[in-house]
Amino acid sequence: MRMFATIAKLLVKRVLTAIPILLVVSALLFCILRVLPVDPAAMSLPPNATVQEVEAMRKEMGLDRPIYEQYGIWLGKLLQGDIGRSIHFRQDVTSLIGTTLPATVELAVIAMMVATVFGLAGGLFLFYVRGTRAEAVMDFVSILLLSLPEFLWSLFLLLIFGVFFEVLPFTGRLSPGFERPVVTGFLLLDSLITGNISTFFNALEHMILPCLALGIALSPSLMRVLRSSLLDVYQDDYIQQARLRGLSEKRILVRHGLKNAILPTLSLMGVQFGFLFGGTLLVEIIYSYPGMGNLMVDAIRNADLPIIQGAGLTYCIAVLVISIAVDSLYLILNPKLRAR
Amino acid sequence: MASFEGKRPLPLWLRSGRVQTGLVIIFILGICAIFAPYLAPNDPNEQNLLAILTPPAWADGGDPMFPLGTDSLGRCVLSRLIFGARVALTVAFTASVGAMLIGAFFAHVAGYFGGWIDWLIGRVVEIWLSFPPVILSLILMVGLGTGLRNVVLAIILVDWTRFCRVLRSEVIVLRRRDYVSAAQLVGFSHWRTVTREILPGTLPLLITLMSLEMGVAVIVEAILSFVGMSVSSETAAWGQMIADARQNIYEAPFNLIAPIGAIFFAVFGFNILGDGLRRTLDTRLTQTERT
Repeated sequence: MRMFATIAKLLVKRVLTAIPILLVVSALLFCILRVLPVDPAAMSLPPNATVQEVEAMRKEMGLDRPIYEQYGIWLGKLLQGDIGRSIHFRQDVTSLIGTTLPATVELAVIAMMVATVFGLAGGLFLFYVRGTRAEAVMDFVSILLLSLPEFLWSLFLLLIFGVFFEVLPFTGRLSPGFERPVVTGFLLLDSLITGNISTFFNALEHMILPCLALGIALSPSLMRVLRSSLLDVYQDDYIQQARLRGLSEKRILVRHGLKNAILPTLSLMGVQFGFLFGGTLLVEIIYSYPGMGNLMVDAIRNADLPIIQGAGLTYCIAVLVISIAVDSLYLILNPKLRAR
Repeated sequence: MASFEGKRPLPLWLRSGRVQTGLVIIFILGICAIFAPYLAPNDPNEQNLLAILTPPAWADGGDPMFPLGTDSLGRCVLSRLIFGARVALTVAFTASVGAMLIGAFFAHVAGYFGGWIDWLIGRVVEIWLSFPPVILSLILMVGLGTGLRNVVLAIILVDWTRFCRVLRSEVIVLRRRDYVSAAQLVGFSHWRTVTREILPGTLPLLITLMSLEMGVAVIVEAILSFVGMSVSSETAAWGQMIADARQNIYEAPFNLIAPIGAIFFAVFGFNILGDGLRRTLDTRLTQTERT
């Protein structure tokens, strides 16, 4: 019970600090994009609109008022869930984000799992080979891997598995001919709910390369942190004591070593997963994956301000949510923090 | 070998194989960038519409005039690769110096003075961190407009927090040292205390971070030019080459491999240099970790 109370306290505290952050971020987004040399009023009208019409539109959009008032109006609408209409797609930004966000979340979540598996396995392996010649080699390899960001991994995997061997699809979410079920918006989930197993596997197949690219790119830093924190933990007396008690090395690693070493790794994951969420943008573009990243880049190319603001804010919220979630997990796993 | 005996041995950090590898890579790239007009076999912007998407010279149908083949507009891939090093290195050096100066300044101010200044700077960094770097740099590029100067500015504005966060905790450790208190007692000004007593202690970390930041800057520039938000299309940049090759992935897969290799080579050079520097300069690492 005490644990839940502490976690609840942390959640409340973190959400309360997230609010001012979001306010500042939204103000920044609003200002950065307001200094642009484009006129949102003229852009939302057909090109043959008269000067009077543009003026009327400016007034209607509140563009003739001081910037802080404009921000107030924008924020007020935002709180009601109204981010405005896309100039280019002629659709509400909320609905555009609503359809693309689930795709990006699915991508990010699976990629995080891939990164966790690779990161933990690699970290354990690095630790296992400590002091041997293999360590020097692996250490070098991990620097090599660190030098390949998700952006290059995506292209690289696409070339190998998509173009040279032609074993995996690399565009979009589904092959042509597959019907897209819509229940929750999460394709994998929806195809399971509606019992479309073939659709599910087809969608999963399309996600292998993007998720691998994101996951592999993130794992070297996790590996290195896990290894160094395992090395730290193994300096402690209780490991020596466990050995004296005659526990097997495996038991020491799982019950004593990993249990303590996982914490620093976890706090790094919070930051890294936030970055991963941003990294989906490029992976989405490379794999023509219909998520928020593609929406954002389309919007940037068309100077579609409402989408840029809405998507930017959504990315920000996602990062904060991920970091709060990882922090709560940290608290669950760390008895020292819980006691306080 | 007798002539070497009288010489002083190389400083420790230069004897590290990693540092040497990194420096050699950066040196090669630097030569490419500086002497690009002399090294490149062709004009990087010259379109040769009769010879588009030619494969590399060693493959079937290759033309020795274009050692690495041509892109979709018939431009020489090797020449564009060599000229692309100019953009990459310019951004790497200027952006990392800029981010370092701003980040280090705020880190020292926050760590040295503490109190509300530290609190304020900490909150600003927190706000920055709530943005994925790629998203923030894209949004900044929308606000600033494209061009080399703005790419550098965007990277500085995004990445100064990397320096600030890490250096701040280092400054806090150093501030508590006796020699810093001694300097304050003797009546050193704040400026003099920070620059003479604290900065020498944070310098190794600062140099390491800068080397890593150069790698990050190369990647960010490539990303921005990949989505068409970096230098204008007349300037050869590795990210643009990737974007172009992405369109013709089946006809000319090699066009994609070349710029990927170049970016990887550059980033690896900066990373291995940074890793080598970290190992040799960080006084707190144990001897075992250093070797």
